[in-house]
Amino acid sequence: MPVELTVNGSELTLDDPERDLASALRAAGHTEVKCGCDGGDCGASKVLIDGETEMACDTTVADAAGATVSTVAALGTQSDLHPIQQSFVDHFAVQCGFCIPGMIVEAKSLLEENPDPTEAEVREAIDDNVCRCTGYQKPVEAILDAADRVAGSDPPVATDGGTAGGGVDE
Amino acid sequence: MSDDQPSGDTDRQTDGGTTSRPSGDDADVLDAVENEDPEALEQHPIEWDEAENNRKAPEERLSVSSTPEKADDRKLVTGEAKYTADFAGQFPDLAHAAVRRSDIAHGRVTDIDTSAAEAMDGVYAVLTPDSEAVPDAKYTSAGQSYPEPSPWDMHVLMEHVRYVGDPVAAVAAVDAETADAAVDAIEVEYEEYEPVFDPEAAFDADAPRLFDDEEVDNEIVGHDYERNRMASIGGSLGDVEATFDRADTTVHESEWETVRQSHANLEPHTSLVYTDEDDRHVLVTSTQVPNHTRRQVAHLFDVPIRDVRVTKPAVGGGFGGKQAMVTEPIPMALSLATDRPVVYEASRDEEFGAMRSRHPMHVRAKTAVTDDGDLEAVQIEALSNTGAYGSHGMTVAGNVGSKPLPLYSKVPNIDFAADVVHTNTPQTGAMRGYGAPQGTLALEGHLDEVAREMGFDPIEFRQDHYMESGDLDEIAGMMGGEGAERRIRSCGLDECVERGKEAIGWDEGDQPDEDHLHRGLGMALSAQGTGVAGDELGAAQVMMNEDGSFHLHVGGVDIGTGADTAFVQIAAEVLGCAEDDIVVKAADTDVTPFDYGAYASSTTYISGMAVKKAAEDAKERILEWGAKLLDEPPGDLDTADGTVYSEASGEAVTLEDVGYEAAYGDEDREHILGKGTHCTEESPPPFATQFADVTVDERTGEFEVNQLAVAVDCGVAINPGMATGQIEGANHMSYEMAVCDGITFDDEGRSEVSTYDDYDFPTAGESPPIEAILVETHEPTGPFGAKSVAEVPTNPVPPALSNAVRDAVGVRITDMPITAEKIRANLGGEA
Repeated sequence: MPVELTVNGSELTLDDPERDLASALRAAGHTEVKCGCDGGDCGASKVLIDGETEMACDTTVADAAGATVSTVAALGTQSDLHPIQQSFVDHFAVQCGFCIPGMIVEAKSLLEENPDPTEAEVREAIDDNVCRCTGYQKPVEAILDAADRVAGSDPPVATDGGTAGGGVDE
Repeated sequence: MSDDQPSGDTDRQTDGGTTSRPSGDDADVLDAVENEDPEALEQHPIEWDEAENNRKAPEERLSVSSTPEKADDRKLVTGEAKYTADFAGQFPDLAHAAVRRSDIAHGRVTDIDTSAAEAMDGVYAVLTPDSEAVPDAKYTSAGQSYPEPSPWDMHVLMEHVRYVGDPVAAVAAVDAETADAAVDAIEVEYEEYEPVFDPEAAFDADAPRLFDDEEVDNEIVGHDYERNRMASIGGSLGDVEATFDRADTTVHESEWETVRQSHANLEPHTSLVYTDEDDRHVLVTSTQVPNHTRRQVAHLFDVPIRDVRVTKPAVGGGFGGKQAMVTEPIPMALSLATDRPVVYEASRDEEFGAMRSRHPMHVRAKTAVTDDGDLEAVQIEALSNTGAYGSHGMTVAGNVGSKPLPLYSKVPNIDFAADVVHTNTPQTGAMRGYGAPQGTLALEGHLDEVAREMGFDPIEFRQDHYMESGDLDEIAGMMGGEGAERRIRSCGLDECVERGKEAIGWDEGDQPDEDHLHRGLGMALSAQGTGVAGDELGAAQVMMNEDGSFHLHVGGVDIGTGADTAFVQIAAEVLGCAEDDIVVKAADTDVTPFDYGAYASSTTYISGMAVKKAAEDAKERILEWGAKLLDEPPGDLDTADGTVYSEASGEAVTLEDVGYEAAYGDEDREHILGKGTHCTEESPPPFATQFADVTVDERTGEFEVNQLAVAVDCGVAINPGMATGQIEGANHMSYEMAVCDGITFDDEGRSEVSTYDDYDFPTAGESPPIEAILVETHEPTGPFGAKSVAEVPTNPVPPALSNAVRDAVGVRITDMPITAEKIRANLGGEA
């Protein structure tokens, strides 16, 4: 039975309820959702489901029925990055980039719950996001700086989604 | 290897340059010259004939020392970058591949029943070793230059299986789930042979033999398959044995053990293969070596090189694991069999158990030291476990000696030997550091212990013997083909030591208040190369558009390092334009010039120099056209800020003026094209000093790494923001080697690691802060003074942490990983 959900502000119908959500989203064109492991182990597929961070590979399509899903693509655009994305760019926190969609989604979730995290809290938040390139040093710096940027922005972007009208619907 | 070098217009250095002296103390340089053989001086001049534009003071640099955004970052942070698997949606008739892998560690496939798999709905093809689409040829997966320095000891699908995970059959199906189900439905029967897992045991005369002689072609020096030895390599200077016997020296010996580290690249090995409308084979693949892969595919499948196209989209990390044709032949064979595009994406389980890993080694270090602290002899002997096949086996083993030993170029007697043996474990391969981490652990752990036992300051003891600018490094060349004697023209070790000491608080040494906690500091040196000496080639082309912008086509391979951005910055430095005015297209063998690929720390140095030459070639034409427009001689002109300007007259025209005039001029017209190709005999070492700060609990052996600091001399860092990122990432990978078990096996040779959770490497929450320090020197043979950066910090954390633990509680851990249990056992507690 087809499953309906909202992804980045648009209605989406997925056919196979038993399929993992990450594969289904990728097959539907959402290739910004990455898969780096055999399921639930690397964090690359993290998305927001009704505002909560989940690894999409660890969720079935059926479990997301009726839900509002946001991927990293719901944040900024290349010409108008979300402050978290801009902070990652400015801090050279991105190397191969494969972990980044999941890590930025996790960072967004963190900063909404905890707008002024400590370094230890940032490290804890991304503890299940595998990054093989950076040694975590620059991503941690980028998220800490992003907290300042989000706090200092007007209007506060962390509550209304991206700055580019990407349509995070929360 | 120099005889194999291409000739033609690949000039080794530009003509008409200025003469540059090596950086460092002039007196040291003069000392070096005085004692030297005149022939060596002539062959390896201290003064390098450097192009005038290559050496710029920091304030004169237009782009290379600045930190523009990494060129692909915006598409990476928005999720729009396309990796190989992301292209699947473009192929409606795409088939998905899966591989049936050996269930046993050693044996022969006697029967494969594929009937159930073939009968399944959605299965397009099932291939076994006998299938027509599967080549008969032997090959190596190692993506190296040609002739290939690794043995041809594999088939695409294996009958004689040598590890749990060897590929025996392959399936193409409508989707991944069907392909996996079909693989499970294949029935395989084996005749089992006795396996051998331990490298020492594999060396015994009565050990099970992995290869009959006829099962290998292109054998490597020192091979002895009766003893499971695929290669043996070594070299020496002076006479170590006589020095060990001398009455005035004390002999020290120690033995060290390293783990089987996984690349654990987050994007799995993925290859998508199809035949296009011109009947040419197209491989979209996650590779570090597009041109080598093209050649290897052509040779293996017996098709012309011109009919193979390899393109590299975004790559999700390589670290050496993709310096190999690991996955490509499977979808290639399946595509031929099904006449469909086929994608093969390795599972994470396969990544840990059947792709590649770092060679685990046992390394012995032996030195002779006088009571005055003169290090008179160093000997390193390594036993390398190459696993089931020999890819990169000899060359990695060679680097155990040829990378770290030159650090101590003042030592008169040096000896190195390595044996590389097969075991029934997954095959190893290239991995960041490439043998240097194993050698660095042994050498830097050993020398530290010697200094402590003899009462010398461990840093001063090293400083008394380490390399300086102006030195002739004979050690790098003592193994013949694997490296070359070289002149050292940049060496920032002194400053690296000072900056690292300051960062870690070396001279402070505060202890925790609690009596059972002990803080210790350790340090270690590291050196690497910059490209394979005398065995590299890179090329690039710069094309000017009429609006004054440029297309840069380069064979160099960005696997997430930021290499494309470095190429743009080098070109912008020459052309005097903004980075944004250069569009880079890289690593597509149909379009971009030839390149050996991303390995051996060569990309910025070799491919970057090719980019520089291409930009200079284009600039020469730009200045000619500018001269025409300004009516001034080209020699009076230069470019900057998007203009061609005259210092003499103060006049200027824009690059856009030049572009339109060249493309649409009334009388003469020209497409401004610059080309550059670069090879060299040089491979200057970058240097690093590693510092580690640890607190150990003497009651439990538990330890906490408070900080890692690493100072790196990479010449002139191209884009310091990217360079420090490389250093931090490499240092984290080095830290992992010190504290992580790596891939381990059960008694039957099955990998005990199939998930990231099993692999248990340091997560964000478990990783210490890493301070990366750039120490600038000027390497005259590199583009704008650059040498390599991304491997040298991969080597030194295991010895630095071992040395720090020794400093804290007096315990020496020599077998990696360092664990609380081992420390506790050495403190007299229970293991």
